Amino acid sequence: MIDTNYFWLCIALLALGTISIRMSIIAIAGRIRISNRAKEVFTYIPAAILPAFMAPSVFFHPGVVTWAFGKERLFILFGATVLCYFYRSTIATIGFGLAALYLLTRFG
Amino acid sequence: MKPSKFFLLGFREMIPIMSGTLPFAAVMGTVAADAGLSFWRTMSMNMLVYAGAAQLAAVELMTKNAASAVVVLTGLIINLRFLLYSAAMAPTLRQAPRWVQLACAHSLTDQSYAVTSAHQEKTQTNADMLQLYFGASVCMFIFWQLGVMLGYAFGNIAPAELALDYAVPLSFAALVVPTLKNRKYVLVALFSTVLSLCLHGLPYRLGLIATALPSIGLSVWLTRKGQTS
Repeated sequence: MIDTNYFWLCIALLALGTISIRMSIIAIAGRIRISNRAKEVFTYIPAAILPAFMAPSVFFHPGVVTWAFGKERLFILFGATVLCYFYRSTIATIGFGLAALYLLTRFG
Repeated sequence: MKPSKFFLLGFREMIPIMSGTLPFAAVMGTVAADAGLSFWRTMSMNMLVYAGAAQLAAVELMTKNAASAVVVLTGLIINLRFLLYSAAMAPTLRQAPRWVQLACAHSLTDQSYAVTSAHQEKTQTNADMLQLYFGASVCMFIFWQLGVMLGYAFGNIAPAELALDYAVPLSFAALVVPTLKNRKYVLVALFSTVLSLCLHGLPYRLGLIATALPSIGLSVWLTRKGQTS
């Protein structure tokens, strides 16, 4: 059982710290000049961080399909990315990926 | 602000992403219930912190009676990435009232920022972009709270054979691809991929921020004078 005071202390500090991080640059935006170059760098943020979210969880996932060396999630992600490049559809990308994984792990 | 077509666009584009978020939220609810947290405490944490990965780590550490400083710092390290999203949203929010800035900051998540950046080229003004962002954020907020409640009440409801956890990387792939405007963006994405695999073993989920910062460094270098695209 988690102690009441301990729980609220941790959550209050975590909540305060988190909103401070989220608000940090937004809060000072009115007072600083954001250069065009900085704005261009910001457009790289998804490319810099989203692959770091997905790559380890997919690459190190212990798969079950032996002929794909247990890396079926990696191959399907590659296929889904190519599909997304041509069709630009979130729902098609996720739908294809989940269906392909289901079929491969079930019948592969 | 009344809902505009951009609000609806953001809301609609977020729905498929929820196939990965809902099961993750259900895991959060299940873990909180298993840790003996009351429903009131679980939902308070969920509203006040509103950052899934940090909350999961915090609850796990609290059940082990880790020092408060360790619980808080671990959560904050996981949340450091929001600094980048805060910077990215800042130009849009320069003229906005303080309460709009606060609402926007509190609802910053990987998904809401990613959906906004994937579709921002369809917007013309800061007001359009904010509507797009809030549409995505409201959708995220509703589904996240709903998922945690379902997980708390019914346990991990997602059928294991559907492997819905895999919807999370698929969502991120679908969100990153539209932002890769030329070879420089692709280079940054590849660099981030390789570096994240190398740094995977770092403790406290440090790998994520340790990958993001050098990747941003590479972006700064790629956008140096004379190299702007």
